[in-house]
Amino acid sequence: MGGIVVISVLKYKKLPVIWEFMRTTNHRKIGTLYILFGFIFFLRAGIDALFIRSQLAVPNNDFWVFQFEKYNEVFTTHGTMMIFFAATPMLLGLMNIAVPLQIGARDLAFPFLNAVGFWLFFTGGMLFNIAFFLNSAPAIGWTGYAPLSTSLFTLGVGSDFYVFSLQISGLGTIFTALNLIVTIVRMRAPGMKFTRMPLFTWATLITAFLILVAFTVLAIGLYLLMFDRMFGTKFFHGPDGDPVYWQHLFWIFGHPEVYILALPAFGIFSDIISTFSKKRVFGYPAMVLSIVLIGFLSFMVWVHHMFTVGLGPVTNTIFAITTMAIAVPTGIKVFNWLFTMRGGVLRFTTPMLFSLGFIPSFVMGGVTGVMLSVSAADFQFHDSHFVVAHFHYVIIASTILGIFAGIYYYYPKITGFVLDEKLGKWHFWLFLIGFHLTFFPMHISGLNGMPRRVYTFRVGEGLEITNLLSTIGAFTMGISMLFFFYNLFKTHKKGEKVGNDPWDGRTLEWTVGSPSPEHTFTPMPFVEETDPFWYAKLRRERIKTTKEHRASPISRDSILPFLMTITLGFMSFCMIYKWYVPAIILGAGVFSFFVIRAFHDERAEHYGKEQTDDE
Amino acid sequence: MKKITILPFIILLAGCQSITVLDPKSSTGKEQAYLIWFSLAIMAIVLLVVFILFTRFVIRYRYTEKKSEFIPQDIKGNLKYELTWTIIPFILLAVLAVPTLKITFDQSPKTEAETNTNGIHINVTAEQFRWTFEHKNSKTVHNELIIPENKDITFHLSSKDVIHSFWIPELAGKVDVIPNKELIYVIKNAEIGEYDGKCAEFCGIQHANMTFDVKVVSMEKYNQYLKQSSNQENED
Ligand code: HEM
Ligand SMILES: [Cu+2]
Ligand SMILES: [Cu+2]
Repeated sequence: MGGIVVISVLKYKKLPVIWEFMRTTNHRKIGTLYILFGFIFFLRAGIDALFIRSQLAVPNNDFWVFQFEKYNEVFTTHGTMMIFFAATPMLLGLMNIAVPLQIGARDLAFPFLNAVGFWLFFTGGMLFNIAFFLNSAPAIGWTGYAPLSTSLFTLGVGSDFYVFSLQISGLGTIFTALNLIVTIVRMRAPGMKFTRMPLFTWATLITAFLILVAFTVLAIGLYLLMFDRMFGTKFFHGPDGDPVYWQHLFWIFGHPEVYILALPAFGIFSDIISTFSKKRVFGYPAMVLSIVLIGFLSFMVWVHHMFTVGLGPVTNTIFAITTMAIAVPTGIKVFNWLFTMRGGVLRFTTPMLFSLGFIPSFVMGGVTGVMLSVSAADFQFHDSHFVVAHFHYVIIASTILGIFAGIYYYYPKITGFVLDEKLGKWHFWLFLIGFHLTFFPMHISGLNGMPRRVYTFRVGEGLEITNLLSTIGAFTMGISMLFFFYNLFKTHKKGEKVGNDPWDGRTLEWTVGSPSPEHTFTPMPFVEETDPFWYAKLRRERIKTTKEHRASPISRDSILPFLMTITLGFMSFCMIYKWYVPAIILGAGVFSFFVIRAFHDERAEHYGKEQTDDE
Repeated sequence: MKKITILPFIILLAGCQSITVLDPKSSTGKEQAYLIWFSLAIMAIVLLVVFILFTRFVIRYRYTEKKSEFIPQDIKGNLKYELTWTIIPFILLAVLAVPTLKITFDQSPKTEAETNTNGIHINVTAEQFRWTFEHKNSKTVHNELIIPENKDITFHLSSKDVIHSFWIPELAGKVDVIPNKELIYVIKNAEIGEYDGKCAEFCGIQHANMTFDVKVVSMEKYNQYLKQSSNQENED
């Protein structure tokens, strides 16, 4: 694989392009990188999923080597990569691309930091993947429960790879979240009040706040776990420590993480459904309010992952109620989407199909979520395949369908091409059918007593049919991806560029060129309503502009972010193997890059020039 | 697409009689199954409403040639509608919350020792990758749990190493088995029969094989069983 890439890069003389992307700090290019690498990790984790499903296809299967330790590694890498290295980064990529364009900003507030954030994710992802080649993949589940994850029970370096790669990429995620918050608060075009912001931007804003809190908690948890593993502390085991502390820390992060994945997808769907229904979003204030409420409540429910831990009846009931409460704002959103469609003109383009597929699928996942919140019933559901079914219904229906919808929708803004509609529809239908075929039967497997994270089951437990169906479904989803690849290939081969506004869009991003140029919004648009572009088109006017000056960040190429994070990656690698001397040297290297950065601002030479550009 | 999403429901309905967790063999499990059914019923209402509206809107408002120039009416929202779908779910959830609270209060695993002395007390110890059951006359067996019918069985669970989870799907839900902490879980009125027990919390390489056999027998048989040479080890 790597060899083919290297050869084709050399053959087509693409090295300059790679060099350009290694140094870029432009939001669209960084967004593209996020999506590209997120997607590569998505494939890796998807192949893991196919291994899992092959092993579980029939009872007592001894498929190749995927049993025991290998199976445990495979589901751990599958879960971890999907959450941290596939779903989250692809969403960050879409935010990077679309948010500045939606609010009329020229770039993110801190372009350099943005590059650092991406390369941290990249380094973390690479580190995590290297573990596989060194035969030390972690086998502790994506939740890394102590004390199994402490050095008492997982002696090898596998769990250290888990700790360090999540720590590094988590740091990058926090940086990007900070960046997005400042961008959205400070860089909006004149007249774009908070009450006129597109819903994807709103969702991004709230998500960024969730990331800030949740990933910080995760960082603390990982930090303590690192000390337990490497330096003999006893936070999570022994007479004074407690493994349940880890569960609290993990789920105070982990539950909001689910909404970090879902809220941006809600935003994307809102924009797409409104665009392809030719109607503004129904009940905009309620939509915003429910995003805020969901974000807030997401921090109040983490114990619903711990009903069986013995925290006592009072705790269990309180958290059962708060969990149920989240269903109300979620329900409001669903009905508002439905009523956005009511009375509209629905165009079934590929992005719209993915959004329409989302509604019933997601509601099915939400419904089982309410069932799980019934704490005494959860004693049965917990850690069974019913839960596996539930969270895939939620995550795939929201995040993954949302990402695909977003990729098809924004593809013109990223590359200038529109993806082929016919192949897109094949992709959608096979994916949706495969998805339901995989995960619906898992509810029943779970209720028939199949625990999660087991590599085998016996004949006569009532698990044969449902497991076989799940496996067939998983491969159907795999096949659907082939249509997506063929689509990419065909679209670029055909090479028909489109104009600014291929979808008859409503918001500012459709006023700039496709692919979005590095210098956008000159002159600066003036926003007087939601969906300003749409209403301007209705009135057959151009969008209003203004001479008012806005702070505009300037992106300047720099190789520093890449060097910084790669050095940090090598340092972590040395830490994992306890080679402290090289680790210290590399650490000093990372620090020296900070110093270089502090004394060197590559934007300086351009300040004057940019100023005149704006007038 | 709609047909495809309905198909699995048919499978579910056809198979529900034989689904383990929904056909439990103890009163603890029956209360849990009741909650599952009850929540499913309430949620089915929600599902149905969404599916019907969704299908209707998708068909009715789809694009046709005739509508190519049509600009839909500009609707900002409707307070009455929005209040409706805020308040009704609220009521549905309140209805669901009542039995949830009651049964959760009864059934949640606790940490302090129970005072109830009538029932049968059994110490359960989990370790990688084996279960040990100690009966009241300190008879100790591995991976085989024998209990009498129609009694309150109080399990005292503890772990020697990592976190495990004690689960007999046919009888009742699971409880975590945690090092340095004893949890109490009560299963009431089990029916005579043979069931599978498993570890439900991932605990290491042999997690999938950390299973045990459960036999519920009559009280006489149980007493006889206790008298048989104690500390008999099964081969493991
Ligand atoms: C694309 C098709 C997918 C298939 C066929 C699939 C299949 C599975 C299966 C069978 C398991 C259960 C493993 C076990 O209990 O032994 C699992 C676990 C999991 N999956 Fe997926 N999955 C898919 C996509 C995703 C996506 C998109 C995400 C998240 C973005 C995801 C996140 C997870 C997580 C977090 C776990 C739990 C892992 C653990 O228990 O540690 N999966 N998946
Ligand atoms: Cu949760
Ligand atoms: Cu286990």
